[in-house]
Amino acid sequence: MTETRVPRGATVRLGTVTGDLRAEPNSRIEVDGRLVVPGEVHFKGKSEVGGDLECRYFRAEDGTVRIGGGLSVQEDIHCEDAILEVDGELKARDVDVDRGLRVKGAIHGRTFDVGGFLEGGSTLEATRVSVGGLVRLSGKMIAQDVEAGGSIDIADVDLDTLEAGGLVHIGGGTVRQRIKVGGRFVSDAPTEFGALDAGGFAEFRGDGTGGSVKVGGFFTARGNLTFTTLDAGGFGTIEGNARGTDVKVGGRFRVGGSLELAGDLEVGGYISVAKEIGADRLELGGKLSARRAVIRTTAEVGGAVDIPGGLKAQRVTLGHRARAAGPLVGGTVELRDRAKADDLYGESVVLRERASARRVFATNVRLDDGADAEEITYVQSAEISPRARTASPPRKVDQLPPFPL
Amino acid sequence: MLGDREGRSGGVRRREVTDLYATVLEVVKRYHGAARITRVSYGAGMPVDRVRLLIRRLIDAGLLRSEDLDGRPVYDITARGQEFLDTYWKMRGYVEALDRSPEDRTFRRR
Repeated sequence: MTETRVPRGATVRLGTVTGDLRAEPNSRIEVDGRLVVPGEVHFKGKSEVGGDLECRYFRAEDGTVRIGGGLSVQEDIHCEDAILEVDGELKARDVDVDRGLRVKGAIHGRTFDVGGFLEGGSTLEATRVSVGGLVRLSGKMIAQDVEAGGSIDIADVDLDTLEAGGLVHIGGGTVRQRIKVGGRFVSDAPTEFGALDAGGFAEFRGDGTGGSVKVGGFFTARGNLTFTTLDAGGFGTIEGNARGTDVKVGGRFRVGGSLELAGDLEVGGYISVAKEIGADRLELGGKLSARRAVIRTTAEVGGAVDIPGGLKAQRVTLGHRARAAGPLVGGTVELRDRAKADDLYGESVVLRERASARRVFATNVRLDDGADAEEITYVQSAEISPRARTASPPRKVDQLPPFPL
Repeated sequence: MLGDREGRSGGVRRREVTDLYATVLEVVKRYHGAARITRVSYGAGMPVDRVRLLIRRLIDAGLLRSEDLDGRPVYDITARGQEFLDTYWKMRGYVEALDRSPEDRTFRRR
């Protein structure tokens, strides 16, 4: 195989060469139209090509290689301890660069494996992109899998998976399968995703639509969020409406609009919903505040609820020492030992030992020892322990007043 | 790089030693068992001698492991290393939360 050599420090003018091309440090190649190399191009040290370059293999080591035009490589690019800068478009099958890749035009390839940084001034299309450090792209990235150890900043995405250890900032787009961020994730515009797992901090500045959301640290959605399951262990805020299947909150969570769930709401920490909550089942160990809540099956409150418009469920249970501000409405409403509530409405209302309520409206009422109610209105039965307290005698009526909710 | 982000005053926060350990672990993790020291150096934005020292400490603590591949050492994260990262990022999330805007602080007081 023949080889064309460009000596150290030389400036030469080339068009099409036969065989390989080898350029020594500090060389510059002026291009007649387009430099075409049928074999391998090998740059050692800092070098520059003044125009478009087309070759079969591209190799560089120990320096920065700048291509003043486009770079088209039939097979692969391999740069060891080198930076590759391309002013035009870059096309290659596989790209492996140790230090950095900077391309002003569009980037096309199958795999990109970059140690330091990948910077693009336009779009990037690939199957897999893996960068140890930073990724910055001004245009859209279309790829299957993208991962970076450091940070990612991309204007628009159309991906299957996105994984980063550091910071991820996208202008919006679609990640069909999984977004996994160890550090911080920020999306500026509407985003669709299959699943989001953020260990640290995640923020949707536009609406978010996707599958499961798991946040260990801090989660914010500035708009509306649609999901299947939401598991927030740390702090969470959805400023718009939230719609999904199940929510599990271990930390603190705030919804600026309504929260509508087809499944369960489990709160171990604190959840605040500005408007309404709708869910199939509520299990509350911590605190909940909302304008009102309608639960289709059971609501078990172990902590405290502050719900001025009322909490309605087929069965409402206020646990030991639990607190409720606002009316509780149920088929059955039970206040366990030392629980305290405002007005209670139900088919059946039971106050266990030392539980207290303000007013009770029910078909059947039972107050155990030490239980306390200011006013009792019933239709069928009132089973009041002699050691229970009522401010006025229970009042039997033919029909109860309309229940709230 | 990790840690080179806005601090509470809006300026760039200087990387602390825990940030450096996390940076190295995150970069090593991306190579799925084949991380060479030069690649870690470029990815983490630190000189090789500094990275070598951090890697030694991480190996001693059981957060990284090393093996030879083609006569050269390569590194991989351990389960304990992943545990370190999970804890690190969760703590960073809490710190972010504590540095949030006044309206969020109002929420926290409720």
